[in-house]
Amino acid sequence: MNQGYRWPLVGLHWLTLLLIVVAYVIGSLLEDMTLSPLKLKLYAWHKWAGMTVLFFLPLRLLLRLTERIDHAAGLLRWEARASAAVHGALYLLLLLVPLLGWLQSSAAGFSVVWFGVLPLPDLVGKDKALAEFFKELHEGSVNLLVTLVALHAAAALYHQHVRHDGVLARMVPWLRNKP
Amino acid sequence: MKTLFVLLMCLAPPVWAQDWKLDAGKSQVQFVIKQMNVSTEGGFRRFIVHASFDPAKPEAGRFRVDVDTASADTGSAEGDDEVKRPAWFDSKAHPWAIFSAKNVRREADGRYTAFGDLAIKGQSHALAAPFTLTRQGNAWLARGRFPLKRSAYGIGGGDWTDVVADDLEVRFNLVLLP
Repeated sequence: MNQGYRWPLVGLHWLTLLLIVVAYVIGSLLEDMTLSPLKLKLYAWHKWAGMTVLFFLPLRLLLRLTERIDHAAGLLRWEARASAAVHGALYLLLLLVPLLGWLQSSAAGFSVVWFGVLPLPDLVGKDKALAEFFKELHEGSVNLLVTLVALHAAAALYHQHVRHDGVLARMVPWLRNKP
Repeated sequence: MKTLFVLLMCLAPPVWAQDWKLDAGKSQVQFVIKQMNVSTEGGFRRFIVHASFDPAKPEAGRFRVDVDTASADTGSAEGDDEVKRPAWFDSKAHPWAIFSAKNVRREADGRYTAFGDLAIKGQSHALAAPFTLTRQGNAWLARGRFPLKRSAYGIGGGDWTDVVADDLEVRFNLVLLP
C-alpha cells in the first residue's frame, strides 16, 4: 500500500509553505515601513521568495500528477469534491499570487533580479495606474491564498485527530507507520 | 531710415550668440542606477538649460544645465522624499545641480564632447559629457550620457551604500529651440 507522497513532493510542499510564510510576513512588514535600506532589502527578499514559489510550481505539479494516491478514498462525495476544489484553487493561487507580484513590480518600474543574480524580464511596461491595479489584485489574491492555506491545514488536522485516517501522514513522513 | 535699419541690425544679437529655448516637454534628464543589483530608472522633473551656439559651429557655443535637485523622480513618492534629505541631495541647502560647459570639442560629424564642471551638493568636479546634436524640424536635439559616482559628491552614504550602487549613469535628451 502506498502510504504517502514521495519525498521530492513532500520537500517541495513544506518548502513552499516556508517561502509563503517568509514572503507574507515580509510583505506585511513592508506595508507599514518607511523607506530605508532595510526596506529595499526586504522588498528584494519578498520578491525572491515569491519567485522561488513560482519557479518550483511546474516541478511540483509534475510530481503531483505522477502520484498514484486515490484522493477520494474514504471520503464522502462532497468531501472529495471540496478537497479537489481547494487543492485546485491552492495551485491556481500559487501561480497567481507571485505572477501578480511580478506584474506589479514590472509596472512599478522596479524589475525583479532573482537573488540579485538572474534578471527577470518585465512583463508589462512602466505604468503607475497599472502597478496600483496589480497591487490590489496581488493583495486580494494573497488574502484568499492565506485563507485557503488555513482551511487546508484545518482539514489536515481534522483528518489526523478526528478521522485518524492517515491523510496528514501522506505529507508528513514521520507520522507514517504509527498505529 | 536706412541708417536706422543698419543700427537695428547692429543691436540685434548675432546668430552665433543667440539664446536657445528648452522645449521642456520633450526634454529629459534621467539617471539609471542599480539598487539591490536591480537597474532602475529615474529622472528630474525640472531643469533649466542656458544654451547659446551656432548650429554650424556648436563647439564655439556655451551650454549650462541647472537641475532642480528637489524635483527628482525616483519612481516612488517615498523615494522622491528620501533623496531630498541631507544624506542625499540635501535639497534645502543645495537646490541646484549645475553643469556648465567651458568648451565643446567636435569629435565627428554631429558628435561632440562638452567639457566643464559639474557641481552638486557644494562639490565641483570636472566632467566630460559626450553628446550628439541632431536637427529635429526647427529644433536641435542634444543627446548624451555619462557615468557618475555618488560618492564623489557625497550623495547617499551610510547604510545605503550596500543597497544602492555607487555608479550611475546620467542620460540627457535636450530639445533646444532657436
